Amino acid sequence: MKLMEDRLNRANKMRKMCSRCIMDTSAINIRFDENGVCNYCKEFLNRSGSMLNESAAVKEERLLRLVKKVKEVGKGKPYDCIVGVSGGVDSSWALVKVVELGLRPLAVHMDNGWNSELAQNNIANLINALGVDLYTHVIDWDEYRNLMQAFFDAHVIDVELLYDNAMLAVNYQMADKLNLKHILAGTNQSTEGMEIPSNWNWYKKDKKNIKAIAKQFGSVKISSFPAIGTIDYLKYDLIKKIKWISFLDNLEYHKESSLKHLEAHFGYKRYPYKHYESIFTRFYQGYILPEKFEVDKRKVHLSTLIISGQISRKQAIEIIEEIPYASKQELEDDKEYFLKKMGWTKKDLEQYIKHQNVEHSVYGTEIKIIQNLSRIKRQLKKIF
Amino acid sequence: MLNHRVIPALLLKNGGLVKTHKFKDPKYVGDPINAIRIFNDKEVDELMVLDIVASKEGKEPDYRMIELFAGECFMPLCYGGGIRTMEQADRIFNMGVEKVSIQTAALEDLGLISEVADKYGSQAVVISVDIKRTLFGGTKLYRSATSDTDKENWKTFLTRAVDAGAGEVLINAVDKDGTLSGPDLELIREANNELDIPLIALGGVSSLEDIRLAVEAGASAVAVGAFFVFHGPHRAVLITYPKYEELENLFINEINGRQTK
Repeated sequence: MKLMEDRLNRANKMRKMCSRCIMDTSAINIRFDENGVCNYCKEFLNRSGSMLNESAAVKEERLLRLVKKVKEVGKGKPYDCIVGVSGGVDSSWALVKVVELGLRPLAVHMDNGWNSELAQNNIANLINALGVDLYTHVIDWDEYRNLMQAFFDAHVIDVELLYDNAMLAVNYQMADKLNLKHILAGTNQSTEGMEIPSNWNWYKKDKKNIKAIAKQFGSVKISSFPAIGTIDYLKYDLIKKIKWISFLDNLEYHKESSLKHLEAHFGYKRYPYKHYESIFTRFYQGYILPEKFEVDKRKVHLSTLIISGQISRKQAIEIIEEIPYASKQELEDDKEYFLKKMGWTKKDLEQYIKHQNVEHSVYGTEIKIIQNLSRIKRQLKKIF
Repeated sequence: MLNHRVIPALLLKNGGLVKTHKFKDPKYVGDPINAIRIFNDKEVDELMVLDIVASKEGKEPDYRMIELFAGECFMPLCYGGGIRTMEQADRIFNMGVEKVSIQTAALEDLGLISEVADKYGSQAVVISVDIKRTLFGGTKLYRSATSDTDKENWKTFLTRAVDAGAGEVLINAVDKDGTLSGPDLELIREANNELDIPLIALGGVSSLEDIRLAVEAGASAVAVGAFFVFHGPHRAVLITYPKYEELENLFINEINGRQTK
């Protein structure tokens, strides 16, 4: 444990860090200007600065327009929108606000076999207090474990592509099934707006990549796993007009005060770090990513909070000097649980960590489609 | 310590958790290991895992899974499904399981009940009976392995099983299973009148109030399936368990209720 901490800190000291946020040279293509400020926080401010600094009145107006639209489109239906819930603060807060504004959401949850008690408890408390119906998509655990195993055998970085892709798919599929047009999501600029370095994760709508890896490393048949690809997404977005809305961008969202409100009114229990509602996510971000891929995702999360004025740079630096786990015991417990769930030995894990990493693009991928699409979009913008 | 146990009853099919409706249409509800972990964190006082296909398909218990359950489960664990011989029962106890629940083998011969009770004590052996109501409201002993009813009167059978050494009776109301429509209180009352060993009532619980009613009708413990894994009109999978204080209050009221009678 101490070793892990020392190693992380040694590695961090050897990297150059941005003078405004805490992004460093572990992020690909990072560049610093003459003041030592990096392109990650600069781009984030360029893209979202106007939204972050928007006046309350302007936000309010946008929000009310959105609420009116959702109500109109959802009139006469049992629900007027979908809110995906994970038990985490972002989606919990989105659900609370959506209900407060008089909307009638269906809460949608996905179970991939790694849900924590904390997450289940938070979801139960919220939907009971708010009187919201819930739909859960349960992925067959054997199938999901085989998919995970295939991703481990492929030695690609983004094992959570599986969860993130399925979560997107479940939300769209449910909206489609119920003929709803709005997915009001907890995704937002103020706590997660900074772009994640492209060497830290992978394109989340890459169904082809999932299928290619599944086929090559385990001949896994995909049946209960609800995958979504670029074309599926375009079909939902352009033809069926189902819109994914980063709902919290339409209001003042401050993470700490939202947490306090949730704790006080909904028996909410917080997690030590972002996205720790799933035990695997916790182990992945807190152990696999730093140990195997030398990536500490907290850097981009905390940098976003620095730029959006929610914590100081000093606080953020103090946080990353400690390991991503609340205690040594918790890491050991998670490790043991991970081994049990995957049917691995300690040696299997050691070998996995030591093995050379492989790029997602080595396997089949849709990334070319998305690159071409954004090139076309850029060119169209130039013309018009 | 509560006066009555409230026991999540998890149904196992081919290594996955399922929930049935009147013993049919098993719906997949997730990975048993993760469910056990969540119940651990909820500080549940006892857990029951019943394999619903082992006897049906003439298979042995899935020892690999049971060992994982026992390793993960901090609370006393009762396992049922496919146990036919003493060797099998030994193997399961050796993995750290505290109790076994026996039905199919006992319907043929109560010898296994006696053997287990002799070696591990009566508290370690649960006789499991499924009761189905007839069209006219009568009650029949049901064989879940073959999905038919047995000629023997279930009360006579239970008396024999208790004499053989069973320490607890698990009584499952087939017509209530997975319906969330309230327990069969009359059945619980009837069974309670026959028995002087602890009775675990299973089937139909949809609320804390139902748990209280089952206890009031004479159940020593209440086993709960659908109510702890489903939520709301979409039967959305969400694992819950009452808070300790909620159960405490529930049973305090129950005792007071009795005293004023």
